[in-house]
Amino acid sequence: MEYTISQVAPIVLLPFFAFVINAFIVKHFTKTAVAISCVSILGSFFFATRVFFDFLNTYSSGYYIHKTFTWFDISYGAFPFKLDMGIYIDNMAATMLFMVTGVASLIHIFSTYYMRDDKRYGRFFVYMSLFTSAMLALVLSENLISVFIFWELMGFCSYSLIGFYYEKEGAGNASMKAFMTTRVGDVFFLLGILSVWSVVGSVSFVDIYAAIGAGKFNGLYALGIPLATFAGFSIFMGTIGKSAQFPLQVWLPDAMYGPTPCSALIHAATMVAAGVYLSLRCYPLMEAGHLTMAIAYIGGITAFGAATIALVQTDIKAVLAYSTISQLGYMVLGVGVGSYNAAFMHLITHAVFKACLFLSAGSVIHSLHDHHTHAHVQEMPRMGGLRHKMPLTFIAMLLCTFAIAGIPLFSGFVSKDRILGDALVAATHSKWYWGPAILGFAGAFLTAFYMFRMMFLTFFGEPRDKELYDHTEKETLSWNRNLPLLILALFTLGVFFSGSFTGQGIIKVAGKKYEWFQTLIVKPDTKSFMSYRKQDFQFEPNRDPQQFEMSHYDPDHGLSEDEAHHVHHIHHIGALVSIVIAAAGVFLAFMMYVRRTWNPGFWVSLLSPWYRSLQNKYYFDDLYIKGLIQKVLLPLNNLLAFIDMGLYDRYIIDGQEYVNRVFFTAAKWFDNLVVDTALVDGNGAAIRFFNVILRTIQSGKIQFYFIMIILVLTGYIWNLNI
Amino acid sequence: MVSLTSYLFISFVLFVAGIAVMIARKNIIAIMLGIELILNSAALNFAAYTRFVNNNLDGHLMSLFIIVIAAAEAAVGLAIVIRFFQIRETIHIDDASQLQA
Amino acid sequence: MFENILFLLSATLTIVGVVGVVFSSNLMHACTLLLASLFGISGLYAVIGADFLAAAQLVIYAGGVVILMLFAVMLTGGTANNNNKFGIDKIAGMGSIKTYIIAGFTVIVTSLTVLKIIANYIKSYEAHKLPEFESTVEKIGTLLVTDHVISFEISSILLLGALVGAAVIARPKKGQE
Repeated sequence: MEYTISQVAPIVLLPFFAFVINAFIVKHFTKTAVAISCVSILGSFFFATRVFFDFLNTYSSGYYIHKTFTWFDISYGAFPFKLDMGIYIDNMAATMLFMVTGVASLIHIFSTYYMRDDKRYGRFFVYMSLFTSAMLALVLSENLISVFIFWELMGFCSYSLIGFYYEKEGAGNASMKAFMTTRVGDVFFLLGILSVWSVVGSVSFVDIYAAIGAGKFNGLYALGIPLATFAGFSIFMGTIGKSAQFPLQVWLPDAMYGPTPCSALIHAATMVAAGVYLSLRCYPLMEAGHLTMAIAYIGGITAFGAATIALVQTDIKAVLAYSTISQLGYMVLGVGVGSYNAAFMHLITHAVFKACLFLSAGSVIHSLHDHHTHAHVQEMPRMGGLRHKMPLTFIAMLLCTFAIAGIPLFSGFVSKDRILGDALVAATHSKWYWGPAILGFAGAFLTAFYMFRMMFLTFFGEPRDKELYDHTEKETLSWNRNLPLLILALFTLGVFFSGSFTGQGIIKVAGKKYEWFQTLIVKPDTKSFMSYRKQDFQFEPNRDPQQFEMSHYDPDHGLSEDEAHHVHHIHHIGALVSIVIAAAGVFLAFMMYVRRTWNPGFWVSLLSPWYRSLQNKYYFDDLYIKGLIQKVLLPLNNLLAFIDMGLYDRYIIDGQEYVNRVFFTAAKWFDNLVVDTALVDGNGAAIRFFNVILRTIQSGKIQFYFIMIILVLTGYIWNLNI
Repeated sequence: MVSLTSYLFISFVLFVAGIAVMIARKNIIAIMLGIELILNSAALNFAAYTRFVNNNLDGHLMSLFIIVIAAAEAAVGLAIVIRFFQIRETIHIDDASQLQA
Repeated sequence: MFENILFLLSATLTIVGVVGVVFSSNLMHACTLLLASLFGISGLYAVIGADFLAAAQLVIYAGGVVILMLFAVMLTGGTANNNNKFGIDKIAGMGSIKTYIIAGFTVIVTSLTVLKIIANYIKSYEAHKLPEFESTVEKIGTLLVTDHVISFEISSILLLGALVGAAVIARPKKGQE
């Protein structure tokens, strides 16, 4: 396909123009604004589909589109300072575009059902359009600065949307908390960008890969640690902030104050995935900086810790929030153990099923309307037996729960199992990787358990709140409520991602192209980027796609025979273990919440300190608010305020007043003496002097005139030289 | 004794006296007296010159005209003084200071 | 011989009269002394043979102008005023001593000027034989209507104007008399 800008730009520009137009018309033409938003995102989906299928048809792992234009170039002599902006689409980006636009359009359609009664119905879509345009631009961006710009823009949209229901008491705090926490990560992210820029001379991804391949980062140190490690970790801090990893995960549960479709889009599918996307893009840098173990541990701790907190939550959205944190931990774990492909696959599959889960939860919440408090019910203790009232939602949610729990034949199993398998492989190579691996498997068990706990509490058993249950209407199939859910649920089937049972090619479904995901999306090979040519933004015709040779699926992943066999062996073991623990989790949940044979209360009383700390989310909020903010930052703030107001203002600013006063006195003296007295009064005195003379002469006394005449005449005669 | 010098001397005395009268006296009519003295000094001067320098009687005529003019001027001047007295009720020269700035 | 005596008498009369005019405090005395000095001037005219001029001086000046002045003195309540004194006070804000100094200075300056002029002419003057005395009346008459007829006519008009003007200016105010 000929790629000029007109093929790719609509993906980003359609939602952006929808945002601009809606910003003006949303007050008066709400329904039109909503329609414009939905149509624009569907248009984006159309263009993204074209791009995606072009990449799929080319079927080459090295195929990419890269077009740039120079934004500014202020180089001076030997110091290059040039920033190009542009698009860079490779297979990963094309897949991500397809996923983001698809999920976003389904969420927009669902929002027309969910938000239709809200009094700020139109404004929601304004923010959503802005957000989708920012996310799509981030996926397309070709350099770190561009990523950062759209990263921050998405942060702003997240802030606006979390605080959407600003009448709610905690919403403002939650939105601020989200923004500030991600900001902490962003500071380090920017630091990382700058350190990379200083070494490589450019922030473009391809230039960074080429520089890593050329070894520019070797031998450079920053603060005593190698520069690649420093830069890589700083950039990874951006991921920690945005993707809610440990220790900055505190904002994501509070983000549930926002509307449910917003949670679905932003805090499940796209924005939090942007962090992982960044890590994937910068993976060669982190590999060069030997950070992968740290990344794996952070991912593992997050995955396990969030799963434990999710065990005790009673709000349906809170369970999903913690499960999001946990799954993001899995993605980061995947990045850490080196399974680039699996981490990205988990990102895609998680986006689909988590969006579906959130939307289904929204559907459930929206149906449960409490007539006394006029609010929608989110607490699971008041639900139960809802599968009779909402069968379609139940089916969608069930399919997605299978996916997240890691039941075979579903997409979640394919991706998660591959991550865990690669973790085991890494563990066999180095014993330090056993930590993340154990945490991953334990988290998988807990994930299965709490997700099915949620299902059983919500949809099974007897309704615990009779009045609520009776007032709930029975669900009917409607295009904007159920259809998005069912479409998303459809895509949770594993066949779309990998035509094999465990994702390893054991059982093949038709055709060799069915391992498209594994084939096309590969780690960037830094050596191959060293010889490379960018294209101008618009005018040069695309490179001939034929020059990209078609890739073939290599079941050995490029390893030697023995190693490949070892890897497959470990993967089989891992697959078996994950199936077993998933089944165990489901069984435990079934026994506890459906059959009620085992009492969860027993475990609660046994581990009550741990239970209390889980309810307080491991005291992270207290640590941050009481420990950090009140004990460290506030005193620091007071100190700085004292320096500014007490010292600086008082002495320097007010001291200026003293100096001014001195000058004023001198000027006043000068003014009085010189100007007033000498010039002004002197002028008057001179005039008065002449006045006296003239007044004397014009005395009106005739004899005086006569004297004057005589004197003048005699003077004239004396001068006549007679 | 009778020479141009003595006549010029007398004329000089008359002239200076006239100036003094005009400067010093405060009555307007007294000042008119001074004017007459000055005019007379000029006339005497002219007459002395016709006698002692050239003999063609132009000086006499000049003196005659001076006398005529002096008479006319005295008449008009005194008429003005009388008029001034009718208005101002005073003939002190310092009261005629309406030209004062 | 006779000339010299007449000259001295006339000169004395003139100068005494003039000094009196300057320094007298009574206006009537001043006018009378002016009359006397005019008599003296007339005598001086006679000494140099200007007979017509002497007569004219007596008739016009002594018998006309001074009389006129005396009438004016009468009409303006002359001697009753106390401003007949010779004094130069209050000229343009000066004190009395200063005014005397100013007046004296002016007189001295004037005198020196005139003397300077006179001195020049005296130096260039050569004595020559004086002509015989003869009657000047006829000659003046002839000159008046031949060489100086314009001046004559104009002076007559001037006298007419003076006459009429004086009458108009000194007319009594309306409602009076």
